Amino acid sequence: MTRLSITINGQPHGPTDVRDDLSMNDFLREYIGMTGTKFGCGAAQCLSCAVIVDNADGTSYTSPTCVTSAASFDGKAIRTVEGHAKNGELSVLQKAFIAHFAFQCGYCTAGFLNEGQVLLERLANTPVKRAELEQTIADALDGHLCRCTGYVKYHEAVRDVILADSKRYLVANQ
Amino acid sequence: MKSKLRFQLMFSVVVVATSMLAGYAVSETASPSLASPDSFASISDTNARSAAIFTELGKVLTHPRCTNCHPAGDRPRQGDESRLHQPPIARGTDGHGLPAMRCSICHGNANFEPGHMPGHPEWHLAPREMAWEGRTIAEICEQLRDPARNGGRKVEDLIHHIGEDTLVGWAWAPGAGRSPAPGTQKQAGALVEAWVKTGAACPAK
Repeated sequence: MTRLSITINGQPHGPTDVRDDLSMNDFLREYIGMTGTKFGCGAAQCLSCAVIVDNADGTSYTSPTCVTSAASFDGKAIRTVEGHAKNGELSVLQKAFIAHFAFQCGYCTAGFLNEGQVLLERLANTPVKRAELEQTIADALDGHLCRCTGYVKYHEAVRDVILADSKRYLVANQ
Repeated sequence: MKSKLRFQLMFSVVVVATSMLAGYAVSETASPSLASPDSFASISDTNARSAAIFTELGKVLTHPRCTNCHPAGDRPRQGDESRLHQPPIARGTDGHGLPAMRCSICHGNANFEPGHMPGHPEWHLAPREMAWEGRTIAEICEQLRDPARNGGRKVEDLIHHIGEDTLVGWAWAPGAGRSPAPGTQKQAGALVEAWVKTGAACPAK
């Protein structure tokens, strides 16, 4: 057993005693009741279960939750799909996903949303040239699988958010 | 007569099922033994004995538990069949993955059996120059004697690296669904030590 303390979407949870063989996905869905994080392949290959992990230095990355133990998240701060909207208003990226009809069944959406959000935060710190943007988006979303084949729409939605605030995400005059 | 036929049929089913299960068990868990250094004492020529000892050690070095993370390219391999790692990942500049997909994101401090996820605190790829995938035992031997291609080590250092390093040791405790490397880490370390003490000779190519 491990005593797990974790911050989820800004809210502290725990300490909670969890079995060492409890996956993070089960912890979120069964212990916390946050079912927005999906369980897909169970092998870290579709990334529908990905959540955002926030580093202390302000950077972030996504992590699958299906193959990782809940205990391994002790002391960490994560964000799930439930944490994107603020005060009842969807995030810019969520709105863009809807505007582009980026998802059909929606099973992979939480993972794409988290990955897209991490990309936006990375570009805000380290902008890229406009000429590099398409590849940057493709690289970032690579690994996320969508059985409804919404890849292009996800890509376009992320691109639209970036271009709508190009001063923030792109290198100037490029 | 009917009961005799029924018995024969049931016996056949049991035999087939048992052999299938045995085959599964062997493929999942079997760990062929390693000969001890003493087994080579009858080889009087020291060079030949040293090369023979290394050839025995080669059973470990060419095992998927080792070669999967000593890949020839930038992507590790997985499983006993050494398929390319899924999801697609690359070694990055330090062998710990790319900035957005570090090894430690999925691979924790220890194996996580519910997710069939192997783990170790230092999970990473061997450097590119230490690639063993697709190489013969003789080629790997030459590589291990070359500090430029063995991580800057003297051959004496390999006794500890192979015999005691805990990440190397994972190869003998890889978790369910993966065959462990042959023998034990202690036996492998003994073979390395014997190989070094006999002059670290390599098998003929």
